[in-house]
Amino acid sequence: MIDKSMNVLVVDDFPTMRRIVRSLLKELGFNNVDEAEDGQDALGKLRAGSFQFVISDWNMPNLDGLEMLKQVRADGCLGATPVLMITAEAKKDNIIAAAKAGANGYIVKPFTAATLEEKIGKIFEKLAK
Amino acid sequence: MQGNAQQVIVGTEGDDLMRRIGQLTRMLRQSMRELGLNKEIEKAAAAIPDARDRLNYVARMTEQAAERSLNAIDRAQPLQEQLGREAEALDAKWRAWFEHPLGLDEARDLVNVTRGYLRNVPVVTQKINAELLEIMMAQDFQDLTGQVIKKMMDVIHEVERQLFQVLLDSVPEGREREDMRQRLEGRWQPGVVEEDGTLTNGPQINGDADGVVSSQDQVDALLDELGF
Repeated sequence: MIDKSMNVLVVDDFPTMRRIVRSLLKELGFNNVDEAEDGQDALGKLRAGSFQFVISDWNMPNLDGLEMLKQVRADGCLGATPVLMITAEAKKDNIIAAAKAGANGYIVKPFTAATLEEKIGKIFEKLAK
Repeated sequence: MQGNAQQVIVGTEGDDLMRRIGQLTRMLRQSMRELGLNKEIEKAAAAIPDARDRLNYVARMTEQAAERSLNAIDRAQPLQEQLGREAEALDAKWRAWFEHPLGLDEARDLVNVTRGYLRNVPVVTQKINAELLEIMMAQDFQDLTGQVIKKMMDVIHEVERQLFQVLLDSVPEGREREDMRQRLEGRWQPGVVEEDGTLTNGPQINGDADGVVSSQDQVDALLDELGF
């Protein structure tokens, strides 16, 4: 059973997209959601707070999603935090790079609510094993 | 129009002007060839179909989003109208009942119909909520078109820069070039042109191109292949 009271960080430079993901998470029962507008902002919040799940875009200013992911994985405290990429980047190279960098899931935009639910389920199912 | 111009410019002044224009044109062509600038112009011109494709994509996405939203509204409105109508009809029956209380059988019927309505409300509101969610999801076009527009602005900026350079280089070194550079820089704000990252390309406009995935299923298949 997923603990839906967990703190989720949504990272995307477009406020509309952050809002959509937040609403979908609310529909799925996740009410503790915070937002960051780029990788730099996200790392700051991750290091300052305690988040159990990150949903992040790739193409962002200051620090992009892939770099942020790499820094999270390299961080002693944050290393194991599950990270789900939701991004418009749709080249095979992107998917390979994200998987190698340790992303727990990859959703390509535009996506559906059902896909988000499925991927979140899968991520926590794998972690529970 | 050429006829009028020739009428206005008469005699030796006209000849001088024509000669100067001819000289400048030759000089420009020669400079461009020497500096390889004709290649730059070619590149700039080649970027225009790309910009056109991007604009097409934006138009397509916004149209799809509008249609999706309007369709969801078309489905949701009758549902909530129906809820309202049924509530009013029931209310009328209860008002009539209070004015002329019915026998037990008829009262029981009225209660059952009312309970049926109450049980149906959450079913209908769930359907309406689904349509509202659909409208919300349809707004995702804003993120995708926004990224494409950003990319397009980079392309346009680069084209502008190339043409700016061609213009400057066509003028001989010295005061004239400096003057022109200042005039042009006054009107043109040099901005930061993002480097062409191979991993930050924004939404793919053509899903069929090599090395591109065009659906979540393809993403999942690739990840499965890689063992993730």
